[in-house]
Amino acid sequence: MNEPRPLPRRRQRNETGRSGEARFTPISLILIGLLIGVAGSLYYTWIVDPVIYVDASPARLRADFKAEYIFLVGQSFVADEDWPRAQRRLDLLADPGIGQTITTLLEQTLRRGDSAERARSLALLAAQLGETGPAVAIFAPTVAVVPDGSPTPTAAAATATPTLTATSTLPPTATPTATTTPTATATPSPTPRPAYRLLSQERVCQRTLPAPRIEVITVNAFLEQEPGVTVVVSWEDGEDRFYTGFQPEFGAGYGDFLMAPDVSYSVALVPGSPVVSGLRIEPCPANLGGLPGGWRLTFQNLTIPTREP
Amino acid sequence: MGWLAVGLLAGILLGMLVGWVLWPTQFTDADLTVLQESYRRDYTVMIATNYTLDGDLMGARQQLFQLGETDPEAWLLAITVETILQGTAAQDAAHLVRLCRDLGLYSPLMEPYLSSE
Repeated sequence: MNEPRPLPRRRQRNETGRSGEARFTPISLILIGLLIGVAGSLYYTWIVDPVIYVDASPARLRADFKAEYIFLVGQSFVADEDWPRAQRRLDLLADPGIGQTITTLLEQTLRRGDSAERARSLALLAAQLGETGPAVAIFAPTVAVVPDGSPTPTAAAATATPTLTATSTLPPTATPTATTTPTATATPSPTPRPAYRLLSQERVCQRTLPAPRIEVITVNAFLEQEPGVTVVVSWEDGEDRFYTGFQPEFGAGYGDFLMAPDVSYSVALVPGSPVVSGLRIEPCPANLGGLPGGWRLTFQNLTIPTREP
Repeated sequence: MGWLAVGLLAGILLGMLVGWVLWPTQFTDADLTVLQESYRRDYTVMIATNYTLDGDLMGARQQLFQLGETDPEAWLLAITVETILQGTAAQDAAHLVRLCRDLGLYSPLMEPYLSSE
């Protein structure tokens, strides 16, 4: 009575068959195969052997090549002043925010301390695209921004690069007598090269915070702050550049540089100025907080600009 | 196993259709070598124009190499000749001729531009 009753053979066969069929029905087999096939071939087509376009447009370029492309478009625009052509070239990048892209590139260029030519061509493109901002205003100036005697600031004029041969135009040594050698001062260059003198050198101190920075302020002959001057800061094993006017909240001719401890810096302006050397972080006097402080250098442009009527 | 093979085959075909045709890999970080030829030509003109402004021959040469041509100088000369022959972009031709000249390349077509410099 207590012996278990053996299951009928038919029922045993049915159970085995049901579980086998549940796993391996034709539909499930096809689905499993499909999944494996799709996964495998996607891996192959996307990773192992993807489609490679060989007739790509500039929109497909890597970011650094795009940046170089934009720079070359800017340089071409500087050279030929053909804005529709420049615009067509920029359109190929298919960037709806191309103006902002160029402004960002300009700012990166300035932070890296690249050449002023690169900054100018980018700024000109940005200005043509209606971008504004301090960097654009400095490097793509309008007549109002450049009040000196240079020709009207067209794109071509903006490419003129100041060189370091500015000593020949230092006016203070010229004697104002009209008796001899009138030709020495009577041949003004059409693009007068600016030269600066050190107007003042002061400590920078803050009562509550360290101020380990070199502040440079550039002013014109009328002591109005002057933007867009390239400043070179050098030390024993390095050099950096920055531009005045990039922080207009501190003044149109203001720029600064963060100093490192125990490093002696020299500062000069690219258009030509005395080199101010031996600048180090030094503790401020106790009555000014006693914290580490820096230096403020004010340079004055000795070239007298002729005012627009 | 026959059904599995059918599914596998269908999956492979479907995956290839999706991966190569419907939704291929979109490369957005290409270099200059994959540019369409017309864009590479225009890029070459811009290199020459930039060279006119900055006079950096090494930089111009390096930019030409980045275009991936097997003979970048022959490529530059060919574009210069074509630009001169088209006769529609004298300024571009002048920039190209200047770069060719400074790289030591020559074509008789360049003569009018060389003599005017």
